[in-house]
Amino acid sequence: MTITDRFFQRVVFAAMIGSFLLLAVVGGGVVLAARESRHRAALVVHTFEVERALDRFTILTEQLENARRGYLLYHRDGALANYKRTMHDIPLAIDAIARLTRDNAAQQRRVAGLRQEAELHRASARKTIDRLESASAAIRAMADFAVDDSFVSMAGLRQQTSVMESEEQRLLKLRIAAQDHASDLLNIVLSVVGVLILLLMGGMSWIVLRYTDDLNRAQDSLRGVNAGLEGAVAARTTELSRANDEIQRFAYIVSHDLRSPLVNIMGFTAELEAGIGPLTGLADRVDASAPELMDSAARDALTDLPEAIGFIRTSTNRMDRLINAILRLSREGRRTLAPAAVDIAALAASIRDSLQYRLNELGAEIAIQSPMPTLVTDRLALEQILSNLIENATKYLQPGRPGRIVVSARREQQRIIIDVADNGRGIASKDHERIFELFRRSGVQDQPGEGLGLAHVRALSYRLGGIVTCISELGAGATFRLSLPEVLRIEPREGIAA
Amino acid sequence: MSEHSVNIIMVEDDEGHARLIEKNIRRAGIANAIRHFVDGTTALSYLFHAPDGPANNGPALILLDLNLPDMSGIDILAKIKADPRLKRTPVVVLTTTDDKQEIQRCYDLGANVYITKPVNYENFARAIQQLGLFLSVIQVPEVGDDA
Repeated sequence: MTITDRFFQRVVFAAMIGSFLLLAVVGGGVVLAARESRHRAALVVHTFEVERALDRFTILTEQLENARRGYLLYHRDGALANYKRTMHDIPLAIDAIARLTRDNAAQQRRVAGLRQEAELHRASARKTIDRLESASAAIRAMADFAVDDSFVSMAGLRQQTSVMESEEQRLLKLRIAAQDHASDLLNIVLSVVGVLILLLMGGMSWIVLRYTDDLNRAQDSLRGVNAGLEGAVAARTTELSRANDEIQRFAYIVSHDLRSPLVNIMGFTAELEAGIGPLTGLADRVDASAPELMDSAARDALTDLPEAIGFIRTSTNRMDRLINAILRLSREGRRTLAPAAVDIAALAASIRDSLQYRLNELGAEIAIQSPMPTLVTDRLALEQILSNLIENATKYLQPGRPGRIVVSARREQQRIIIDVADNGRGIASKDHERIFELFRRSGVQDQPGEGLGLAHVRALSYRLGGIVTCISELGAGATFRLSLPEVLRIEPREGIAA
Repeated sequence: MSEHSVNIIMVEDDEGHARLIEKNIRRAGIANAIRHFVDGTTALSYLFHAPDGPANNGPALILLDLNLPDMSGIDILAKIKADPRLKRTPVVVLTTTDDKQEIQRCYDLGANVYITKPVNYENFARAIQQLGLFLSVIQVPEVGDDA
């Protein structure tokens, strides 16, 4: 499976959201656990408080009992004071218990019972003490005390408080059990969340690793493709230069082999021509001495022969020029290039100077724009290209319009673009490619030439690693644009006879 | 050494050229026998093995075309100049090739004269006739003459 960028982003996003949610759950759980434990502590404290209040109550009732007895037996004032204090404190202690157990209806009922019992106990104590206040009644009081049910009420009170205490203990146990259950649940939830987070992280790590792996692989294959591309370009270049060499060799061989038959045609035409003289002389003599032997066909043949020979000669001469042109092209194509820094402006100026006479004659001018970049290329080849283009511009001017030719150059990335623009008669768009072909020309054929110049220009530009194109409209001037590498690099080539 | 005993051996695959060359040599007044070969193989066998060939008998002068159907004239030139019996035989290379390196190679191999056949016939005829005049004055060594 290949992980797409989209898929990867989605998964990572989802995993992050999931992780945050799980962390939130963990955080919530921790907060919850803290609150639970606080609550639990409060519960324990509460239970202890209830127990302490109950204990206090028990102690107070015992103290009351002690005070009553002490006073009864020894009439000590200290005992009386104790009696008064405990009498006062007991209801307060019960109030405290009632307050603490407000939330528990059963305990409230028990508190009410307790209060009742305590009141009875207190009433009985008060009765004893009140009687004792009048000293005469001391004995009666003793007798009363003997039959007093305060033992019973004390036992009842003790039992009551212990019931309440055990109730509180039971409640505490119940609550703690419930809490234990809740915290167990929390633990389980946290464990599950932990496992989920681990799984999520694991899954994410896997996906990230996979994705990185995919990326690395893609990078590797890209590197491979790049290397292959470079190899392909190199192979293609080699192929092209081999094809070019082959064409050059072909042109060379063909032009030489075409020469041989031409030597014969011209030679024997000359022999024929040389034969016409004696033949004409013979015909003249026949005419004079024996006119009956002469017929008009023979006479016509003798007059037609020079014309026929003239045509053969013109054609062979033209053919000779064409073959020489091909030969020159092929030779130029095999010349060893010598890259050097070339000042385009200076080169264009020297071409302009060499054309100055013709320019004056035509009333035309050449403007060379500056500044111009310099480039490293074969000077001679560039000179031939530029002089062909500039000469062409002067040749095909629009009649009635003063010629103006502008040579400009600029740098575009690693290439130098040279424009030779004229305001001449222009070239129809259907001819923009054709004019670069060998022996092809465009427009009115009013200028001498074999149709070689631009073919030569194109062949030279190719050799310089450049291209030449034509931008023109009929009647609106033409711009020839030459795009050359800023620095010409020469591939080592096999030496070919040139 | 008689002027007439010098054979002119012409190795030229183009019959027309051969005819034109012969005509113009004759026009220059050269009457020596001309042996014509149209390919390299028969020319070599005549040069080296024929009883009346230059290797075995008599002085000769060779007119050599470089573009032959079965081999390059350069190979023939090299063989002639490498052979102790033939190396002093004058060789006139007469061909359409005007390749500078080719010309140099021929001279390096020992060619005595290199003439490019001009396509223009008047020039061609003139060149051959001048060659004829040249042939009429040069001295050709006898085979085996070590002097």
